[in-house]
Amino acid sequence: MMENSIAMTILIFLGAAIIMVPLGKKLGLSSVIGYILGGILIGPFCLQLTGRDVGDIMHASELGVIMLLFLVGLELEPQKLWQIRKRILGLGLSQMLLSIAGILIVFYLAGFGLKKSFIIALCFAMSSTAIVLQTLKEKNLFRTVSGESSFSILLFQDIAVIPILALLPFISKSEKALSQAGHEKVLIQYLPEWLQPFTVIFAVLALILLGRYIFTPFLRFVSMSGLNELLTAASLFLVIGVSELMISVDLSPALGAFIAGVMLANSEFRHELESAIDPFKGLLLAVFFVSVGATINFDIIISKPFFIFSAAFIVLAVKAIVLFGIGKYYRMNNEQSFFLAFALSQVGEFAFVLVNFAASLYLIDYQANGELMAIVAITMCISPLLLIFKEKVLDKRFIRQKNEENVELGIIKQRKVIIVGFGFFGSTVGRLLKANGIRSTVLDNDPDRVALLRSNGFNVYYGDATKPALLRSAGIEEAELLVLCLDDPEKNKFLVDYAKENYPGLKIFVRAKNRLDAYEFINKDVNYIYRETLGTAVDMAVDILQENGMRKYTARRMGKRFMLIDKAMTRRLAKEKDKDMITFTLRESLEREAELLALDSISFEENHWSGDDEEEDK
Amino acid sequence: MKKTLVLFAHPYFEHSTTNVILLECYDGMDNVTFRDLYEDYPDFHIQPFRERKRIIEYDRIIFHFPIIWFGLPPLLKLWIDEVFDMRWVSENGINILSGKDALIITSVGGREANYTKEGRYETEVEELLSGLKVSLKVNDINLKKIHVIYNADNLTDEQLNVICEELSQTLKIK
Repeated sequence: MMENSIAMTILIFLGAAIIMVPLGKKLGLSSVIGYILGGILIGPFCLQLTGRDVGDIMHASELGVIMLLFLVGLELEPQKLWQIRKRILGLGLSQMLLSIAGILIVFYLAGFGLKKSFIIALCFAMSSTAIVLQTLKEKNLFRTVSGESSFSILLFQDIAVIPILALLPFISKSEKALSQAGHEKVLIQYLPEWLQPFTVIFAVLALILLGRYIFTPFLRFVSMSGLNELLTAASLFLVIGVSELMISVDLSPALGAFIAGVMLANSEFRHELESAIDPFKGLLLAVFFVSVGATINFDIIISKPFFIFSAAFIVLAVKAIVLFGIGKYYRMNNEQSFFLAFALSQVGEFAFVLVNFAASLYLIDYQANGELMAIVAITMCISPLLLIFKEKVLDKRFIRQKNEENVELGIIKQRKVIIVGFGFFGSTVGRLLKANGIRSTVLDNDPDRVALLRSNGFNVYYGDATKPALLRSAGIEEAELLVLCLDDPEKNKFLVDYAKENYPGLKIFVRAKNRLDAYEFINKDVNYIYRETLGTAVDMAVDILQENGMRKYTARRMGKRFMLIDKAMTRRLAKEKDKDMITFTLRESLEREAELLALDSISFEENHWSGDDEEEDK
Repeated sequence: MKKTLVLFAHPYFEHSTTNVILLECYDGMDNVTFRDLYEDYPDFHIQPFRERKRIIEYDRIIFHFPIIWFGLPPLLKLWIDEVFDMRWVSENGINILSGKDALIITSVGGREANYTKEGRYETEVEELLSGLKVSLKVNDINLKKIHVIYNADNLTDEQLNVICEELSQTLKIK
């Protein structure tokens, strides 16, 4: 094995990921498998590209898991958590308890000690958030019964990691482990002895208070600067800071990150934080998975192939049976239950963390550590194959039942409308919607306005909506209507292009400054265009007509008629002038106005039968 | 089947229990264009030229509406006011409506007994529609039938089934 510089190691890791993930995708495997395969490829048993510091890299990249938990927390407003508590608790708790019991019994019977079996069961009861969420997203199953149930179970597991991480040191009675863990305690030593058991409660309370009174004003202060990279820096500072704080009081950094996430789920910075942290999380998780692959000990698999593989299959079987049973108990049909059973049967990435943590506490020895890691990796590779099997073979039998699948459970309700830009224009739109009970997600990049609107109960988030990541975290994938009310026409155009290209199903409503902008939107195939200079100007003209002695009703009708004709004309001119849209001098636009005026005098004539003046839009 | 235009006007359609079912009778009928006027003209700005151009294409017009305060829904009345042209019925005018036929399908909240000379309102439904009837007549539109659905706010599912069946028969009139 050769020694590499850090940059070289990173290069190798990323290279492996870049090559293997697209390959895995081609084969219908999830990206996690691709990463792990990449890791195996560069690991000591294949190309031997990694140095001795794989373990360190893995340790460093565990920050990715912490970020994952922070993001999970961000997804969960305290109220939402409360709403779906029964489901999470029912599905999640039964899955965890039954799986732990099943795996415990199997391993105990196989001759592992009680303590060891228990730890193994704890680790193996977890499913892979990364794999399952990825699958749900790829297959667009989030809003189905099976998708929502999977999400509930994963959520419970994510939360369950925290007490498990806290529990492991207590199971390990080894003095050595405790003293070793102890050298990282910094703050805790200043507390009197009798207070130390309460640190968990203190820390959680402190985080809740921090989240409530410090984090949001802090982010608001940073966002005032208007610099995007500063907010990204602040996000990282928050997450890493919180996890370091937790480590210093000897608590799980994941717990801290999760609570910080939940506390910020209600703030206007939620989507901005998501889009800032997400790339780091993705990158770190990728490195994490690759290093997992690189540390799989093939010597162990080769020395005990029968044991490793049979253990992997038994774990899969136990978990699948438990999940299928739970699915049935919650009155899902066979198709849904099978999906649940296959999708969640693998052992998840948290097992890597837990197994390593347990090993560092001397709860399991090095040999067992390697075996367990191998089992985890094998289950992860098999479960996507199971899903493919379900899709290709089993689904044919369930097609009849498929129609019955109803989405009545409705635990995860995405708002369907996204309003971009909440200035004077957008806020009028939003207020009328709100007055009629339509909830919308609003994005705006004026921190003062966002703070003001939030205090008035609007669901507003801070951020630059022209960044695709923010739109994604605001849920553009599930949205049905995109309402663009930005001041800057160029930004609206950019967003129209982006949305048309990536989300062709989305209905786009766009604010246009004037007729020239409208031409462009028409040629971009937008159907709902609102010229801010049209309606108000017509209203004004109608009132002036009244002042000149026209009857009010007649004046209003004339105004309406004018609007219809003008809109139809705009559409027609937009199509005609499509080619020479590039340059637009003042002179040309004047000519165009003249053209319009000429056309007006024709189409206002009574009994004008031939023209299709009012044809295109009413 | 004649080429048919259904003009449906219901200002409170979201609260409807009967008409929402009745409309299903039009499903799957050939040559029928269904127009929901309150959806087409939410701001009551009717476009007469467009309407006139369209109407030429049809052989039959079905007026389908609930009776509101003993008269037509205002938008349907306005539609007729705007689209029908007095010049068509003048001495040597050409009437584009001439020779078409029509059906009127209307619902009322009250019981049938109320709409009799001796009943509570002392007026029959047909009398309430006299303005529409005359308008059709002077335009030489042949009114084939007035189909009235009584007690429209309190119908059981079974009664509704029967009424739908009856309406389907009416729609089959040649």
